[in-house]
Amino acid sequence: MDQILFALLNGTIYGLLLFMVSAGLTLIFGMMGVLNFAHASFYMLGAYFAYTLQPLTGFWLAIILAPILVMGVGILVERFILRHVHEHGHAHELLVTFGLSVVIAEMIKMVYGKFAVDYRLPAELNFAAFSLSGIDYPFYRLFMGGIAIGMFIAIYLLLTKTRVGIVVRSAIYRPQMVEALGHNVPMVFMGVFGIGAALAGLAGAVAGAFYTTNPNMALELGVMVFVVVVVGGLGSMGGAMAASLLIGITNSLAVGSDFRLADLMTWVGMGGFAEEVGGLLTMRMSSLAATLPFFIMLLVLVLRPSGLMGEKE
Amino acid sequence: MTFRNFARSTAAMMLVFSAASAGAEPLKIALVETLSGPQASTGLLYRDAVKYQIGKINESGGFGGEPIELLEFDNQGGPVGAADRVRAAISEGADVILQGSSSAVAGQVTEDVRKYNLRNAGNEVLYINLGGEAMELTGAKCHYYHFRTSPNAAIRVNTLLDGMKEAGVLGDNVYAMNQNYSWGVDVQDNTVGAAERLGFTVVEQTLHDVNKIQDFSPYVQRVQAAGADTVITGNWSNDLLLLMKASSGAGLDVRFGTAFLDQPGNIGNAGAVAEGHFLSAPFNAEVNPEETSAFMEDYKTVTGHYPSYVEPTTVFGLMLLGEALKIVEPTEDGLKAAELAVALENATAETPMGPISMRADDHQIIQPMIVQKVSTEAKYKADDTEFGFVPIKVISAVDAEQPVQDSCKMKRPS
Repeated sequence: MDQILFALLNGTIYGLLLFMVSAGLTLIFGMMGVLNFAHASFYMLGAYFAYTLQPLTGFWLAIILAPILVMGVGILVERFILRHVHEHGHAHELLVTFGLSVVIAEMIKMVYGKFAVDYRLPAELNFAAFSLSGIDYPFYRLFMGGIAIGMFIAIYLLLTKTRVGIVVRSAIYRPQMVEALGHNVPMVFMGVFGIGAALAGLAGAVAGAFYTTNPNMALELGVMVFVVVVVGGLGSMGGAMAASLLIGITNSLAVGSDFRLADLMTWVGMGGFAEEVGGLLTMRMSSLAATLPFFIMLLVLVLRPSGLMGEKE
Repeated sequence: MTFRNFARSTAAMMLVFSAASAGAEPLKIALVETLSGPQASTGLLYRDAVKYQIGKINESGGFGGEPIELLEFDNQGGPVGAADRVRAAISEGADVILQGSSSAVAGQVTEDVRKYNLRNAGNEVLYINLGGEAMELTGAKCHYYHFRTSPNAAIRVNTLLDGMKEAGVLGDNVYAMNQNYSWGVDVQDNTVGAAERLGFTVVEQTLHDVNKIQDFSPYVQRVQAAGADTVITGNWSNDLLLLMKASSGAGLDVRFGTAFLDQPGNIGNAGAVAEGHFLSAPFNAEVNPEETSAFMEDYKTVTGHYPSYVEPTTVFGLMLLGEALKIVEPTEDGLKAAELAVALENATAETPMGPISMRADDHQIIQPMIVQKVSTEAKYKADDTEFGFVPIKVISAVDAEQPVQDSCKMKRPS
């Protein structure tokens, strides 16, 4: 029982981390209509900025300042690169963001070296929140989860309950109309892009200390974040949350399970046959865990191409 | 004569000339490594080490009075790129191919070289595998022109387990946690295989995806539930770091026995989390202090950093190549790969860790292994931290040796 509890908790926290990064991505997608390949690079930048700032300002100020810096980078990227490319169509925007992600990764390698850097939790945060049947649960995990939930609530309230939110949402769906009503749509886009980048930067600053901060971290998380956004429905905030949790929890449960397809076939009396065939049938669930998100994505794309909560086709 | 004709005939003449002068060309060695992209960090270390040692060989006269020419090819991290680059290297006249990172790439290179040699008898090329440690490379896939200068999974795991057993830290319950590909499976099999000999129980075996997992806490939970004292893992890079961090975060009291804990950045990133964990590797900076320090300092003067991870092993492997080249005489068409192969089998090199040699039966290097532990007492610190590796047990080349695999059916040229 404790095992399952832990697995659920772990999965939820990992899901919340995925959400922190995919929230910005899905916002930007809703706005630009293309996936921002450089988004996970903002996550990486957040971690490296916080790592650089930590010795100067201390951990707390570092994780506040790093996202602000990343927001600055995001705004510059939107204002001076993407806006110029926008009129040439989606393919160009995609290529530019892809190129940007490569450039950022190489620049990180030039400045900080090719290997993982020494960005760690401050000692005062490195303690166990509670202990269940002999396993400590790190407090920092709960802290990361808390930040993600706080972020979700803040964005949700901002988008649904404020005037700014109304303008942003309408600018996403009917930019020309909103512009005709006298709102500065390019400014709104720039703001959304900056905030999206800052969210990813915050996730990086917080998670980089707990996992590892290395030049590949954008690549490692990037793929998973795209899966989340596609499964959740492109442009849907609630969908991103649901998909993040779904992927986090299935992943965590699958790792702990020794389930094999062959066991299922034993129920219908085909166990022997399955053992003989081997291959996929006798593969343990735990060794397939990291593949499951892609399987979920495939399933969603087949059954519901717009994603769990997506509205756009 | 039109210009086009003129250009053609000149080009043809140049071809003729270059073919005629091929015999006088220096020996070409091609490094086919991952020099760009996310996996480049290890590939660039191989390059540093190769450049260093080829430089040494050239200082002492090169081959046949000519300096050896080192060609570099970027395989971009995958078997497909490697296959392409190996072809390019051979067509540029390389006689020896060097490659190290990833057993998956090594598997491709060794097959390509084998096939090329079948089709081009008398004009073979040699493949020196600097670091692909999967068993099949000197097992089912072994062939006469493949030489491995790094340890393999059996050597790593058995020396590691022996050393940990002797230090009294192995415990009774061992968990095998590995990456799901040839190397990880080999580490798992060898861990299970040693259980009876050393009197421990393998409580559970897990194979997981390679470098895709961010959150290792579910795996740590399994380790805890299985009641393991020790985790033996062949994991490298992030898979190793995240596993150790998750384990320490969960307050788990297990000891890790690893093969690649000395990768740069690992100790810096893990910090105190890595303390007390074990590693079995062909090098430690504190063994034979006099010669080793001289080597360390010289390496630092040339490359700018102390040798670590794959670098010492690579240098030692090329020392052996250098010794073999001393035995071989250059012929008119340059180097005869078959002669170099024989010379490699007969050569021994004196490294700071002790003598090394090549076993003729499967072309696996026989070298000393050092079981070591992460501690603050180390003389050379890793990654500017207070930690480094202190030797626990030096296992001589003879004791580290593991039997030739039955699956290796090497055809020797008659």
